[in-house]
Amino acid sequence: MKKKVMAVVLGMSMMAATLAGCGKGGDSGVASGKEKEMYTIGISQFAEHGSLDNCREGFIQGLKEEGLEEGKNLTIKLNNADADMSTANQIASNLAADKVDLICAIATPSAQTAFNAAMEKNIPVIYTAVTNPVEAELATEDGKPVGEVTGTSDELPVEAQLKMIREILPDAKTIGILYTTSEANSVYSIEKYEELADKYGFKIEKAGITNTSEIQLAAADLLGKVDCLTNLTDNTVVSALPTVLGMADEKGIPVFGSEIEQVRIGCLAAEGIEYVQLGIETGKMAAKVLKGEAKASDMKYELVTESSLYVNDKVAENLGITVPDTMKERAVESFDQIVEKK
Amino acid sequence: MDFLITVLEQGLIYGIMALGVYITYKILDFPDLSVDGTFPFGAAVTATLLKFGVNPYLTLLISFAAGLVAGICTGLIHVKFKVRDLLSGIIVMTGLYTINMYIAGTNNVPLFSVNTIFRNDMLTGIFGDKIPQWVDIVVILVIVIICKLLLDLYLKTQSGYLLRAVGDNDMIVTSLAKDKGNVKILGLAIANGLVALSGSVFAQQSRVFDISMGTGALVIGLASVIIGFSFFKKLSFVKTTTAVIVGSIFYKACVALALKVAGAEATKLITAVLFLVILVVSLDRKKKVKINA
Repeated sequence: MKKKVMAVVLGMSMMAATLAGCGKGGDSGVASGKEKEMYTIGISQFAEHGSLDNCREGFIQGLKEEGLEEGKNLTIKLNNADADMSTANQIASNLAADKVDLICAIATPSAQTAFNAAMEKNIPVIYTAVTNPVEAELATEDGKPVGEVTGTSDELPVEAQLKMIREILPDAKTIGILYTTSEANSVYSIEKYEELADKYGFKIEKAGITNTSEIQLAAADLLGKVDCLTNLTDNTVVSALPTVLGMADEKGIPVFGSEIEQVRIGCLAAEGIEYVQLGIETGKMAAKVLKGEAKASDMKYELVTESSLYVNDKVAENLGITVPDTMKERAVESFDQIVEKK
Repeated sequence: MDFLITVLEQGLIYGIMALGVYITYKILDFPDLSVDGTFPFGAAVTATLLKFGVNPYLTLLISFAAGLVAGICTGLIHVKFKVRDLLSGIIVMTGLYTINMYIAGTNNVPLFSVNTIFRNDMLTGIFGDKIPQWVDIVVILVIVIICKLLLDLYLKTQSGYLLRAVGDNDMIVTSLAKDKGNVKILGLAIANGLVALSGSVFAQQSRVFDISMGTGALVIGLASVIIGFSFFKKLSFVKTTTAVIVGSIFYKACVALALKVAGAEATKLITAVLFLVILVVSLDRKKKVKINA
């Protein structure tokens, strides 16, 4: 009997908590849009990772360029999900519950959870580093947002990359790609590679892994059958890149990167997008929304169309590969040494 | 207040999973790792069914059934092929990764544009276009309470008693001329059914299926069970199933609190410290009770 009473009491108190909550939720749904003195934004970053960090720094810089500076008229609540879906969901709900003025979501899972948590509270979501917003159901086919959610896409310049590999390695036939099967961005990029490889006379050999522990096995297998490797912005593979680079180095197989950080630590070259720049663009979009100059739902998501070339001369020298002079001149940044870690 | 509701929502959703983990870990004394696979399994099944326009409430039952099947697999591998308990869980979890990918068709399925148990025509019919926020938690609460009550009822049946006997002293089951293997399989089936159901609710609430959502599910479940148990150990009038669900809410409260205070830096460490505090606090109370007694 006692047990039942307790169960009922517990149940009732839960219900009471619930009802108390909705009472409050009703009257506080006033949308914030007008010019304000102080803004609070939340950043939900999916994982700790070079390019995502660059995005975040760029984002904060972009806001600053528009006159929104942390500490002055802006409070930033920064959260990192450590690549965990359930934490990402929790972060999004927390930020929505705190009724921040805007949520900046970095990477696809964060963007989806943020949008889900924020949509009914009228909190705009600005995302970045989402490779394919259409597939993530954050935008429609024509690039229009599905709600108060927009941002920037970090779709890889796959074609430029293939062109560059062809220029540096005129005789190469197969390109190997390591990727994580659980990362939506990577799967999408792989499709792009497979679609375009033919055009440049390449064959793609891919090896899908599910976590870091499988990288060595997959890389060893892949290195046996390819002329070079190229990287995506795959979180798992990028974080274990030094391992892959070491293994490729032993076999004298060049590895191409997908952004500047990877070239810095030992990839031969990359046609990549500038993540800091991507972040800055995103920050500017967010500033517009915060100041009430535009609504997120009216802005199409943006793509970075131009790619920048990065070359590591030291790596080229080690591999005995000559990078054409025209490319050297075109390179946005060249490195003459291999840096262990940023 | 919104913050508390969020914690309650998340805690209750994972509470369903914790009930499943409670069956395997506490009742059967079986460290069932298949949970990391069955949680996203339920979500994958749900995502695909919702895309086909299946009634969202029906997907709950179907994912439960899917989880049952996965649990039976773990059980069969363990009982019939005599594979160690841990390993049979690992086998099922590993296999399910590919199966989940296959069922969902891809690694990430957004569910923004389909009906869910929280947003559907029936609810729109009742509340109009803007479905109030509290509906979410009521829906979750109803599901959790149904699960809890059914599990409580089940544990009181003859079959339920056998289940408990297998974990405590399987000789009793054998002496009753029952096959302890079958009882184990049944327990694993129900447990994984609940886990898959939890995955289904989670996917519908977060409106996305992601292949990585099962990573660490078992850890969450175990922590919830242990926190629930140590906190309510001396309060014998609290049902164990209730304790487990409250444990899950505590777990999520710790994570949410850590996220709130820590920002991006030391979330995991702060979460760990909060767990420790909960466990130590409940330990203290136990001691005091003993001294008083």
